[in-house]
Amino acid sequence: MPGLDSLINKGSSMYSAEISRANPTCFVFLIDQSASMLDSIGGTAQRKCDVVADALNRLLSELAIKCAKEEGVRDYFHVSVIGYGASVGPALSGQLAGRDVVPLSEVAAAPARLETRMKKIPDGAGGLIDQEVKFPIWVDSVANNGTPMSGALTRAHGIVSSWLAAHPDCFPPVILNLTDGESTDGDPSPAASSVRDLTSTDGPALLFNLHVTDTATTPIVFPDSELSLPSDYARSLFRNSSMLPVGMQSYARQQGIPAQEGSRGFVFNSDMSAIVQFLDIGTRASDLR
Amino acid sequence: MTWGYVSVFSTTKRGSTSCECEDASWVGPKGTDVGDVAGRSLRVAVADGASESLLAGRWARQLCATFGQAPNVTRSRKAFATTYLAATENWAPELERYVTERQERGAPIQWYEEPGLARGAFSTLIVMDVFRPRDGQRRWRAAALGDSCLFLVRDERLVTSFPIEDIEQFTSRPALLPSRSTDADLVMRNMAHCASEWAPGDSFYIATDALAAWFLRADQRGDRPWEILRDLETSDFGMEFEDWVNLERSRGELKDDDTTLIRIDLF
Repeated sequence: MPGLDSLINKGSSMYSAEISRANPTCFVFLIDQSASMLDSIGGTAQRKCDVVADALNRLLSELAIKCAKEEGVRDYFHVSVIGYGASVGPALSGQLAGRDVVPLSEVAAAPARLETRMKKIPDGAGGLIDQEVKFPIWVDSVANNGTPMSGALTRAHGIVSSWLAAHPDCFPPVILNLTDGESTDGDPSPAASSVRDLTSTDGPALLFNLHVTDTATTPIVFPDSELSLPSDYARSLFRNSSMLPVGMQSYARQQGIPAQEGSRGFVFNSDMSAIVQFLDIGTRASDLR
Repeated sequence: MTWGYVSVFSTTKRGSTSCECEDASWVGPKGTDVGDVAGRSLRVAVADGASESLLAGRWARQLCATFGQAPNVTRSRKAFATTYLAATENWAPELERYVTERQERGAPIQWYEEPGLARGAFSTLIVMDVFRPRDGQRRWRAAALGDSCLFLVRDERLVTSFPIEDIEQFTSRPALLPSRSTDADLVMRNMAHCASEWAPGDSFYIATDALAAWFLRADQRGDRPWEILRDLETSDFGMEFEDWVNLERSRGELKDDDTTLIRIDLF
């Protein structure tokens, strides 16, 4: 792996490696499956475990749709889903159960099941109508035991290290931790720091955190300071989150999400599926304006 | 009388097969009329299907075929928009054929394809007419939407760069023509139009974005990118287009993308 000196020389051209089938990258999802995830998310009746499972299934679904081509889903990404609660280990259900790192085409081809959900879409006359959409499920809600977040980050470190050994020039792997933040196996900061120190020739790995809590507070997306964060857990996760690279800040703003220099890959009681759109796999399809 | 010569070069991004190519091109009345130019005019078109859309290559080919054969498409913004709407009308049956063909070969549309197919395909387009000398005039016209570009080189100098003039204008979000019909006014507002005269000895280079960005970057740092491109396919060059593209990719000079070039040498 490259040293930090060579990356400093690379400067602003970091996070510019093309993501392709010839040079894929890795997406590691860590999902908190501890007993505290049974509590409801702030101000709603939804359990935290259901919210993070939904968020993860939506992220996987959007990743597959983004990489779908006529002949199938292209393996621009390889995906790992690690659950942590009663133990730390692979969390995909169905045919993919027990697999550590799975090419995206296999993920897309083998959800545990397809549910039908209702989605609101514009009716063309200024209103909204319900439309049935297929919602694939790879990960079910699980909630029991403690929150071994340090163990999960250490597991992610192992996965990303192996990936980088085989793909040294890839776009830096993205590790997304979905949690209520209450680590029970010690301060996760050293393990988080080790993950962020892993580098490809294109820059350090990106560790992002999605924090759900039972406190009813205003959602916070990609903050640049911890001052507005309501708890020690949130502040700790903020500090353990990578800065959003400049290109991602720009994509966030294009989607109407405020992000600026110093913004971190941290979201509090909100959605993070937008990050799928922060990753470049080629010319984006957008309507004329 | 022969008054020009056309060559076409194309290669895919690394790891793609030729049938996965999402660039398309058109030359002359039949689409493949490379070589000597002898008619009253020459029509060429290049389209670059957006990789983040489904059936982008088919849509790029359909745009090229429609614009390659329609009359007067470079004459006005309105003619361009009208031809675009005609291309979109052919898209629904094309999509239906595709879905049926998938069904028939036991590979029906999957859940992850449905949103992309519903959204439609997207592509850039540049189309150009070059007219035979007449009454001492040598005219050409071009119309474009997106970042596929045309360069006119005269007397060892880049004299026209259209529609993009600055390397900073290349992004991963170029303006694109959607296969799902959109407002003609929107197309007219987003497209660019250009007309001028050519001179004997001029060369036009029409390229998709990766090569266009390479060309403009080289020109802006004082190099002469046309010196390389005009030798393509000659014994002086010593390698195939695909090998040269791969070499430039490995040197970090050229983005790894489907790459198409039409070269027109005028006498």
